[in-house]
Amino acid sequence: MAYVISPPAKPGGLLGPLLRQLSWRELLHHPWRNAAAAVAVMLGVALAFSTHLINASALSEFSSATRAVSGQSDLELRAVRSSFNEAVFERVANHPGVSVASPVLELSSYAITATGKRVALRIVGVDALVVAQIAPSLMPVPEKMSSGNRFALFTPGTVFLNPAARAALGAGSGDSFKLQSGLQLISVTAAGSVAAGGAALAVMDIAAAQELFDKRGQLSRIDLRLGPGADRAALVAAFKLPPDITAAEPADAAERVSNLSRAYRVNLTVLALVALFTGAFLVFSVLSLSVAKRAQQFALLGVLGLTGRERLTLVMAESALLGVVGSGLGLALGTALAALALRVLGGDLGGGYFAGGAPTLQFSFGAAAAYGALGVAAACVGGWWPARAAQKLAPAQTLKGLGAAAIQGKSHWLSFALIAAGALLAYLPPIAGIPLAAYASVALLLVGGITALPYLIALLYDALSPFVANALLPMLAVERARRVRESAAVAVSGVVASLSLAVALTVMVASFRTSVTQWLDVILPADLYARTASASTSGGAGEAVYLTPDFVAAITAVPGIARVGTLRTTQVVLDPKAPAVALIARDIGDAAKTFPMVGDVLPVPKGQIGIYVSEAMVDLYGARLGAVFVPFSKPFSAVAQEIRVQAASDLIASKPAPGIGANPQFYVAGIWRDYSRQFGAVAIDSADFVRLTGDTRISDLALWLQPGAKSGDVESAVRAAADRQAGAGALIEFALTSQIRAISLKIFDRSFAVTYWLQGVAIAIGLFGVAASFSAQVLARRKEFGLLVHLGLTRRQILAVVAGEGAAWTLIGSVAGLGLGLAVSLVLVHVVNPQSFHWTMDLVLPWLRLIGLCAAVVVAGTLTAWLAGRAAASKDAVLAVKEDW
Amino acid sequence: MNTLTIDQLSKRYGNTAVFSNVTLSVAPGEFVAIVGESGVGKSTLLNCMAGLDSWDNGSVALSGTDLGTLSDDARALLRRQHVGFVFQAFHVLPHLDVAQNVGLPLMLLGKPDPQAVASMLAAVGLEGLGARLPQQLSGGQLQRVAIARALIHRPGLLLADEPTGNLDPTTAAKVLDALMAQTRQHGAALVLVTHSEAAAARADRVLHLSSDGIRD
Repeated sequence: MAYVISPPAKPGGLLGPLLRQLSWRELLHHPWRNAAAAVAVMLGVALAFSTHLINASALSEFSSATRAVSGQSDLELRAVRSSFNEAVFERVANHPGVSVASPVLELSSYAITATGKRVALRIVGVDALVVAQIAPSLMPVPEKMSSGNRFALFTPGTVFLNPAARAALGAGSGDSFKLQSGLQLISVTAAGSVAAGGAALAVMDIAAAQELFDKRGQLSRIDLRLGPGADRAALVAAFKLPPDITAAEPADAAERVSNLSRAYRVNLTVLALVALFTGAFLVFSVLSLSVAKRAQQFALLGVLGLTGRERLTLVMAESALLGVVGSGLGLALGTALAALALRVLGGDLGGGYFAGGAPTLQFSFGAAAAYGALGVAAACVGGWWPARAAQKLAPAQTLKGLGAAAIQGKSHWLSFALIAAGALLAYLPPIAGIPLAAYASVALLLVGGITALPYLIALLYDALSPFVANALLPMLAVERARRVRESAAVAVSGVVASLSLAVALTVMVASFRTSVTQWLDVILPADLYARTASASTSGGAGEAVYLTPDFVAAITAVPGIARVGTLRTTQVVLDPKAPAVALIARDIGDAAKTFPMVGDVLPVPKGQIGIYVSEAMVDLYGARLGAVFVPFSKPFSAVAQEIRVQAASDLIASKPAPGIGANPQFYVAGIWRDYSRQFGAVAIDSADFVRLTGDTRISDLALWLQPGAKSGDVESAVRAAADRQAGAGALIEFALTSQIRAISLKIFDRSFAVTYWLQGVAIAIGLFGVAASFSAQVLARRKEFGLLVHLGLTRRQILAVVAGEGAAWTLIGSVAGLGLGLAVSLVLVHVVNPQSFHWTMDLVLPWLRLIGLCAAVVVAGTLTAWLAGRAAASKDAVLAVKEDW
Repeated sequence: MNTLTIDQLSKRYGNTAVFSNVTLSVAPGEFVAIVGESGVGKSTLLNCMAGLDSWDNGSVALSGTDLGTLSDDARALLRRQHVGFVFQAFHVLPHLDVAQNVGLPLMLLGKPDPQAVASMLAAVGLEGLGARLPQQLSGGQLQRVAIARALIHRPGLLLADEPTGNLDPTTAAKVLDALMAQTRQHGAALVLVTHSEAAAARADRVLHLSSDGIRD
């Protein structure tokens, strides 16, 4: 009767017993090696998951705070610049399509407590009669709803604090503190609370806020609830809005918040994925070694009837188990890291995008499952090649110790095609504002470069072979490397991958740092800088907290000051879905010297106003050198018209100067590099700005000191001048140029510290790969070494062969890693950075550091190979000739 | 039906013929010894019988199943269920104890049976040694473990490649006794590749393999 070949009794039923009997014992035999692989996966998952959690938590918190302030409006009419004339309100509110219209004046200022503590505070002026219908969380709630207190809602010196403000100020109802308006301090009293979450916020009556902050007749926005079935587009058209007001959907706010930190988030996530990739590589190294050591076991199981597919499944199950353990630990660690980072660093990981308190951790099981699956998938990718090796091994040959992989005639053209595709992808534009093609380019360059290694190694060794034909030890090393170039490439690939990553990051960071240093030199020409609002809030705070021309005039006479430069920073919304653009008014002078220009500076045609835009304006708003920037005309044409008919305050000139028409033309006379505002900045001469807007407020002062003047003396004198004007000497902050430079570079180094850590981990993992490969090689060659001992070689000579091979391989790996790393750094410097952050940098190649890095890897690789060889050959090699395993 | 049928089998490595035109059949329960000079391809022929090696011409059939028509995985399944193997080197897994080593084929079949393993160990003279590790056994004992492992799942065909090559004559004789006794008891056919005249002499049939074929 013919044999019947039955299918396995239980599909997959073998896996459990095999894992218990074979894999578990292997794990127990090498617990630290397997633990290292699981830890690598853990770190990758933890980094990726914590980044996700922190960003999700921060975005959620920030969005909900924005929603609380914006309320549940159907439409927002927002100021393109800081505010607009409230005359439009009546027209809008009375329109039949509008159900409720809530006027809002929003400003950033500072509160000064009784103890002198200065706290950043957002001021929201509302109409208490309508605000509850749109933004209930902004509805002031008096502490005691007595008849007297009810009118507190409209009392000028009364504010209502949200929980964060109460905590920051340590103020309860009835407590008084001061609010800063310009350089004045005005006393207010907390009369109750508002429910709005997020950063510290105070609500007050809108008329009182306009009065207090010199914004009479001005609004920041109007929140609208529309009537049933209202057509938004038709309504907006019917409103006939002046050009300095834009209509925004509520969803735009959420998108704006998301856009704010998107590039930063994506880059952090990519870094985390790189860490996960190194985890996958470690799994690959560990399982490659494990499969090499167990080759004869697998061969015996093959002879006994374990199919190739079952061997593959077993190794894949082992890698999946490593992934599950690593991912589980990674999710736990990631959650803990996220909680810690939210508490210590806030929600933006030091990126400076979200002001306010520490957001609450928003754990998501869906995200945890996704990131956990990513970790398992990474481990499985790492385990795939060793699993295929276990599947493909020839049982009979392997049992005889002749199972070494034969040279595979794979085409190297695919590798070169990948490299070419990678190079082409680098030229593609970003997708949805993210440099996805550039990341794909980096991945293809790395994969193509690494898979091309066997071909390149063969070329090298084929060339070397004739020269070492008569020298035993080199001949052995070279011939083996030629015959098993795939394994040589595996050993080298770890070095190539890690070194290319390290080289690319080193070049990118060095280029960025050098460019930032040069940028600081140009943008900080003065000796000393003074301001009254911090940089992080200057955009918004500039409207409420500022220096005055009188103050500037007063300090020009201060002894020790040779020259005073002024700078006014404000914001302009050019796209409701995008973060605002910074508008900087300052003395331009010779723009080629006062700005870090990229390219030429053009003369401004007569009748037009010269502006100098940052690189982000070119990417995001299509500004072109030598062309009129049309989007900018809109916000200023309304102001120009308005100034003609009224003076909003004594700080606003009675009329614009001659030459500024109703529709001013802004000519892009230069493009400059700006490393502090990735969403765009426009510089305009102070004189033009004042002529256009009549706004003479000042955000920052640049002070050039006379030779020999002491900065401390000048600071005291300036404070005294502020005290004489408004008793506000304590509100002036000073910083020496050297301090700003040092702090800026310190922040830079801290931001990039993670890349150094990543480089170290990557190189350690690469060397681990070398150790694993060499251990496997030496184990596989023990019979060969035993024979050599029989032929008269000493153990020292054999180890010299191994170390020599290690040196040769890591040298090849270093050269390839350096080349690939330089290629990747070109993509990072010239594509990823400009597409992510909209700024360019000059490529700087720190050759000394790069060569040192390569040399260190070669030395470490040689040492690692020697140590691995020594450990693997520790048993008497002579016995290996006869041994049964 | 014969347990093993080989027809006009030829095997080459490049331009060098290993063997050619090998034709033989083995009946159920028959003990066939294959002898020949070193390098004539005895082990390779044995590997072909088990579907572990490929051939250039001819066919190999196990109980009527043509191995040439089977995929690698199907051949593995057939070995798992119907073939046992004993090697010159014992090839026992060092980190499994004796009972676990012997029980491996049953585990692969999804039918672990500690009783059967204990009985088999007793049958090959290793009673009470199931918990020992391979390092604690002598060469003769290790080969008995290998024999027990080869027969535990009651294969129809046992292939033995120089199973006594590493043993002294006395131990070799005892191991061969155990091998033959167990093979007969299980009704399996045995193909033994050997250089040992003593071992070959105990076979039902002795075949001589040379480069141009095989003959009685």
